Amino acid sequence: MKMVKAEGLTYEYIKMLETDHGTEEEKVSALKAVNLEIEKGEFVVVLGHNGSGKSTFAKHINALLEPTKGTLWIKGMNTKNNELVWEIRQTAGMVFQNPDNQLVATIVEEDIAFGPENMGVAPEEIRQRVDEALATVRMQKYATHSPSKLSGGQKQRIAIAGVLAMKPDCIVFDEPTAMLDPVGRKEVMETIERLNKEDGITIILITHYMDEAVRGDRVYVIDDGEVVMEGKPKEIFSQVERLQRYGLDVPQVTEVAHFLRMEGIDIPADILTVEEMVGALCQLKLTT
Amino acid sequence: MIRDITIGQFYPVDSQIHRLDARVKLTMTFIFIITLFMVNSFIGYFFVVTALLAVIKVSKVPIKFMLKGIKSIMIIIIFTAVINLFMTRGEHILWQWGFLSITLEGVFLALKMCIRLVLLIIGSSVLTLTTTPIQLTDGIEFMLRPFKKIGVPAHEIAMMMTIALRFIPTLLDETDKIMKAQQARGADFDTGNLMQKAKSLIPILVPLFISAFRRAEELAMAMEARCYHGDENRTRMNRMIMQRRDYRALMIGLVYIVAILGLRYLPHLFPFII
Amino acid sequence: MSIKINHLTHIYNSGTAFEKKALDDVSIEIKKGEFVGLIGHTGSGKSTLIQHLNGIIAPTQGEILLDGENIHKDKAKLKEVRRRIGLAFQYPEYQLFEMTVYKDVAFGPTNMQLSKEEIHANVVSALETVGIAPELYEKSPFELSGGQKRRVAIAGVLAMNPEVLILDEPTAGLDPKGRDEILQAIKRLHEERGITVILVSHSMEDVAKLVERIIVMHEGKISMVGTPKEVFRHVEMLESIGLAAPQVSYVFTALKEKGYDVPLDVYTVEEAKKVLLDFVKQVSV
Repeated sequence: MKMVKAEGLTYEYIKMLETDHGTEEEKVSALKAVNLEIEKGEFVVVLGHNGSGKSTFAKHINALLEPTKGTLWIKGMNTKNNELVWEIRQTAGMVFQNPDNQLVATIVEEDIAFGPENMGVAPEEIRQRVDEALATVRMQKYATHSPSKLSGGQKQRIAIAGVLAMKPDCIVFDEPTAMLDPVGRKEVMETIERLNKEDGITIILITHYMDEAVRGDRVYVIDDGEVVMEGKPKEIFSQVERLQRYGLDVPQVTEVAHFLRMEGIDIPADILTVEEMVGALCQLKLTT
Repeated sequence: MIRDITIGQFYPVDSQIHRLDARVKLTMTFIFIITLFMVNSFIGYFFVVTALLAVIKVSKVPIKFMLKGIKSIMIIIIFTAVINLFMTRGEHILWQWGFLSITLEGVFLALKMCIRLVLLIIGSSVLTLTTTPIQLTDGIEFMLRPFKKIGVPAHEIAMMMTIALRFIPTLLDETDKIMKAQQARGADFDTGNLMQKAKSLIPILVPLFISAFRRAEELAMAMEARCYHGDENRTRMNRMIMQRRDYRALMIGLVYIVAILGLRYLPHLFPFII
Repeated sequence: MSIKINHLTHIYNSGTAFEKKALDDVSIEIKKGEFVGLIGHTGSGKSTLIQHLNGIIAPTQGEILLDGENIHKDKAKLKEVRRRIGLAFQYPEYQLFEMTVYKDVAFGPTNMQLSKEEIHANVVSALETVGIAPELYEKSPFELSGGQKRRVAIAGVLAMNPEVLILDEPTAGLDPKGRDEILQAIKRLHEERGITVILVSHSMEDVAKLVERIIVMHEGKISMVGTPKEVFRHVEMLESIGLAAPQVSYVFTALKEKGYDVPLDVYTVEEAKKVLLDFVKQVSV
């Protein structure tokens, strides 16, 4: 069974517009017939600029929004089915952008316990899950601290632990690093990769940072509510001009490699990292 | 400046008082407040102060911290004192000027009211300084539970308190930031008359409200995403279990009530004692 | 106008258990018309430093000289200092409060008690510089996109006609398009108005594209000062204090390590394209 499956997923809402002739209604399509499939254990990145519809998509996975048309299944559960809503949210957890606005309690471990408490887990088991989750995000030292005293990256790791304590199969990260400094971004990205590699959790990472996107197994590019590109990071990022047209960046080395190819140099188009770039340049040197 | 506010601050040390069940501490605080209004002799106040000092000593919280709370409500204390001082009529007039007069009764009443207020603040500080906000809200939720039948939303009240406590530091930080940002745009909060000062708050309050609403919306969504749906089928990680020390504390509380009642009513029953 | 910082030290919560030395004997001069980048990780003291520059916080020790005059000498002049040195905080869109874009930008000039005509001229010119179209002037600032809001907020500072503009993390949280628009606007205002700009940023790529001089801060001290070429060649030094050089810098460091004769001071994509093309062509000849 697919972890996430979307068929013709469409989301429309009515927006009020102030015009010279009074208020008018406008129908906005945030998602237009999106089809996609995500396997269990995959690390999928959804790329798109602000307002492309990628956050709207994220909220559908968590059944926070209901599709206007089309269907979305999470582990076979239709998100339109209201009876399944709690099970869906338990299966697919969600981490939001602003770490400050998703922590509920005044003590770190109490916050992590919030999810399992809502699910009605027995007290002894909650305790155990909280300790495990803290260990996974390497924040045991801060169990009894107040979240307001932590750094952005640490807060975000607590938010991740809060989701982990619900034992989800899949976690959706909605721009988890957008408000963090480089150190915090690194901490969070390392945690996400570890969850995927070591615990086999399916990851859906919504971002516009290309250096985060290259770490995924597969990338979807969303523009204006539609899936416009899909493939492995190397396949996606080798199409430099197309990405730039969608308002996205490519890694600096990819951009340089693309330029060299345009100048007739025989260098691979799918260079994503410094190591690959250096390797390719040395290769050129050796072959001539 | 704005960071000096110490509402609901917890003082993290390990003491006999800290370890007590929050419900016991809530009950005791409640009793303490009631007795404050029962006592009306200075001997009585002496006894209450002694009892309070003993509790503070056991709690290991520096008395300095307790007094901090008074500073923030100094205005209210002074206001109460002044009102009582001038507004109390009595037979022993000490000073008179036009319709204003100070009577001996007024002086005593003002003094008593001040003592009551100060003790009230210190007494409740003992509760908040020795109890983590979570324990406190859990305790309140538990104690309000019997009133649920008559429509008191016990869980919702407790959840609101938790969230408020969680966001007070965040919003204070935010206020500080917005004030600085508007100052950088030439806003002036210190000069001008009352009207101008009130007007100068708009550039702070509007962004603050907008941000509070945005935070509330995001928090609501994050809570829903974590399966929050009220207290139906909800469990708690930390169960509240009464220990032997809690019962012991309640016994001491009982002795305290008896002593207060004694101080109040014994002189009436047996006027020859004092 | 030049800003001179002499032996500036700032200690938060002095004398309590929470005492923290945020700035430690910092001395530096910023010349008129310069475009300076201020980098350092969170807690390095860069935010504290910039808040000193326009007098929002006062030094524990040391002084800040504006054209040779201590800004804290005369309290009455502090308001004037804040006008001359504009400061746009991180996430400046959170300070927007007026009903319309125009009114919000006019807040600063109105506080300066300028005439109506001057206010209008300042507002329009500031909004033009940041690239906000006239049809948006009467809109509510809260209807705009994230990038637009931020540019309006920056215009709010710019409308006070500052001689120095300090921007704290102006691109934080924006997508590539929003980021490029902001950077364009900043570049334009430096070129067209010739004002001094101090750009505080985590993003080495942003800094590399724009600034003439970089100040690196670490633990309340200045650890390096120089042109981007000088600073970015010290990749190891930058990494040791939790920073990084732009990605292309690493390519050249690695090539050098492998024994190739390449320059180490390449840090922008445009330059890298040229240098690497030559490098590869040399090989194939």
